[in-house]
Order: sequence, then C-alpha cells, then structure tokens
Amino acid sequence: HSGGAGALAQWVLLELQGELEPRQGGHLAGSLLGDLHYTCEGVPVLVVGHHILYGKVVQLEKPFAVLVKQGAAPQPGPGEPHGRYSVTALIKTKLLFKTRPKPIITHVPKKV
Amino acid sequence: AAMRSRAEVDATLQTAKLNAAELLPAVHCLSFGPQAGGGECCLLQLEPGLLVIRGEKDEHAVLCSKDKTYDMKIADTSNMLLFVPGCKTPEELNADPVSCNIIYSQIAGFSKNYWELRRCRPKLKKLRKLLMEDPYEGPDSQKDQTSTFSKYTTEDLLSLIQASEEEILHQLQLIDACKIEGYWRILDFDYKMKLLNHVTQLIDSESWPLSKVPLCACLEELGSLEPREMIEHILLSYGRKYVDDGEVFFEMHEDKICRAIAQMLLQNAVKFNLSEFEEVWQQSVPEGMTTRLDQLQGLALVDKSSRPETIFLLKVEDLPEDNQERFNSLFGIREKWTEVDITPYIQDLCAEKQTVGALLTKYARSSMLNGVKVYNSRRPIS
Repeated sequence: HSGGAGALAQWVLLELQGELEPRQGGHLAGSLLGDLHYTCEGVPVLVVGHHILYGKVVQLEKPFAVLVKQGAAPQPGPGEPHGRYSVTALIKTKLLFKTRPKPIITHVPKKV
Repeated sequence: AAMRSRAEVDATLQTAKLNAAELLPAVHCLSFGPQAGGGECCLLQLEPGLLVIRGEKDEHAVLCSKDKTYDMKIADTSNMLLFVPGCKTPEELNADPVSCNIIYSQIAGFSKNYWELRRCRPKLKKLRKLLMEDPYEGPDSQKDQTSTFSKYTTEDLLSLIQASEEEILHQLQLIDACKIEGYWRILDFDYKMKLLNHVTQLIDSESWPLSKVPLCACLEELGSLEPREMIEHILLSYGRKYVDDGEVFFEMHEDKICRAIAQMLLQNAVKFNLSEFEEVWQQSVPEGMTTRLDQLQGLALVDKSSRPETIFLLKVEDLPEDNQERFNSLFGIREKWTEVDITPYIQDLCAEKQTVGALLTKYARSSMLNGVKVYNSRRPIS
C-alpha cells in the first residue's frame, strides 16, 4: 500500500550504460563508484575510475516506487514479484548518463 | 572503503582536467551500500492515481487505481539503474546550499530492469461466482434464515476482487445485483423471472405503453405480492428510469426482456428445434415486443449445420476467464467458428485497444469452408 508523496523518502535514479564491475574482482557492496559533480549550469558530471561521464537531469513522467522485500526466503523465477514487498521510497528524478565516457588520460598523479 | 577526503576529490578533478570553478561546490561521493546487489530492492514504474495492491494469497497480485486494474510485467533496459537515497539535484543544491561541500551517498541498490504496469482486464468472474454462492430467492424463501453461506458487503468485495472500485461497482450493475440488508445479492433466475412476469402482466392488463410504465402504480398493485424494493429493482434492471412531470416512469428494455425470456425457455432442454423455438419465444414475450436472434448474443448459439437447425444455451459468463482456456473451451464445443458467431464469446477478452481480430490471429488458425472464412484451434483438441 503506497502512502502519499509526503510520507515517503525521495531518492534519485542514476542510469548508466553497460555493466558495473567491481575493481579487483571484489564485491560491489562497500566499494566506491565515483564522484558526482554538477556544473554551474546543472549538468551532472560523474567521474568513475578513468572515465568522465556527462549526463542530464530528467524529471520522470512516470515515477518509480522502490520496493523492498519483506521476510527471508528468496523467491525463484522471473515471474511477478512473489512474496511481500513494501514501498520504501519514490523516485521522481533520474540522472541519465548516455554519452560515451571520456577516458581520463593519467599522467603522474599530483602528490597531495 | 575509507571515506574520500575533499583533497582527494580535488585531486581527481585535477587529473580529469575538470575546472572546479565551473562546478557547484558540493560533490556526492558515491559508494555501494552494504545491501546493494543483494536483490532485495526492485523498481516499480507507477501510473498516476492512488494505488492499492489487491489479491488473495494464491492469486497473482494486481494493482488498482480508482477506476483501472493493472498487472505487472518486467521491462528490460540495456542500462544499469542505480537508486541513490539522499542524492541532491542541482536545483536542490542551489536552493539550499549545504554547509559542507562533500556528501557521502550510499547506493541502496541497482537493477537492469524494472516492473512496468500494464492495464489489464479486471478479474471480475470471481464477483459473479461469490454472489452466485447464495442467490436471493425472495423473502418467502426459507433459505436465507438458515443459510450458512457468506454474504458480501461492498468492502468485502473490494478486498476479495482483483479490480478497481469503479470496475466492481459497474459489474454489479451489469449483473443486476442489488443490496439487501447491506449485502450485495444476485437474484435467483426463477425469482427474477417471477418478478418480471408480475410487471409484464400488469403492463398488459393496464395497457400501459412499454415506454411509459409508472412506478407508483406498480408499487401499489404489486406491493402485496412482493417487497417494494424488489419491484423497483426489477423495473430498474429491465427498464430505463426517467421523470416526466414530477412522476417516475420506466421505459422498458425490449431486448433485455426478450433475452431473459429466451433464457427461461432454453434452460429447460439441451437444445431446441430453431423454428419451433422462435415461434414459442415470440408468443412468450409481452405484447408489442419483437424477438430477434441477435438479442441472444453471448447467450445462445445456433447450429446451422444440423437438419433441422437447432439452438442451445451457451452463456459467455459460464466460460473460462483466461484467454487460452476460453478458446480451448470454445473449440471443444464447436470445431470451426465464423467470426460473427465467435465474437460475442471473445469480445470480453479484448484488452484496452485490442480487437477481436487480433485475438483470433493469436489464438486461432483460419481457413476457408464453403467460401466462408472460419477459425479453428491452433492445436489438436484432445
């Protein structure tokens, strides 16, 4: 059962092309993705590893609800969501990164 | 992972050759939260309107807005979707500049797909099934006092039927259900015909025009035979209510009355000789009404291949609700169907903007028989 917009947290969606691979083959959980900046004009800039991604802020026509599974057992199959879910947040905005990443050409890193 | 410092962020900016002066002061350092990738979270794309999830434990869930029903379908994107709590947009940063210039945001989860809502047919067959558990047979019936069957209020139905409120109320009207002592009841067919018969006989004896049947007189004359609410209910079911000069009248619905009488005749045998049936049927309807076979769409089927031609009862509401099962059932009754004959039995399966033709293309195979296009099953019927 979804409540009114005032009751739920608002999250943001980041849409990226391709796959996510953890560095050094470790698990993703806990690892860094990158730094998200915005230009003065409001253009999102994401620095991920050796890449710079430029994106845009999009207000979603159809917002998303983020559903979180309640209870333990994982459900099989690609059928409908089985089991009990609750709505934990709403997403009305996404940051869409569609441009090809610009590789960062590294030279000797500055000593901090 | 250790939290990045501002100095480290600035160093990255330098390496990337980005000019800090062109950027807003606040940076979000994104990392994956501890639960991310565990598959605990998923995304559901919403439709406007208040949503409620309906369905009993063993049913597939549907979502309902006030007037529509949706089921859920997975939509793949080729992109990666990450959902980030507490991530600010440039607008929010400009409107309310943070005191610090570094925000640590944890990605709660990510997915390559999301659930999409797809408008679907409301699942209303169950409504009829529930009400048919205990049809109302009239006040004289002993059944009601001793009945152990469940009776359903509007709220009960809303929690049991996978459809929106408006769709449920509309269906209740279509099946001529009425509220008796707060519970929705469907009338037992024989009781319904008894009530209708009282009304049509009165119309006949009073020589009222079929388009102007006065409510008050009906209640007065018939009130001693049946409850007034039932008399009014039958007039509402088989007529159109209107007011003329302050008085309430009903314009009787010829097609619906003829159809009800046909059902009464047809349910007494497996099938009838068509021409005999047509004769008896015309004689059985009220004076001034004309029977036509097209009044029986979705109620009866004519077998033109038998000699003599016959007609038998086949009610669409008795057939399965699921598309494939419906077609299997129909092809089990008759091997080859013309579009004209099958349409009344599949019309209700059409989704929003779907045509009967599209359904036939999907579930049937066409061929020509004596110069007429016919449809048969795609698979062998066992």
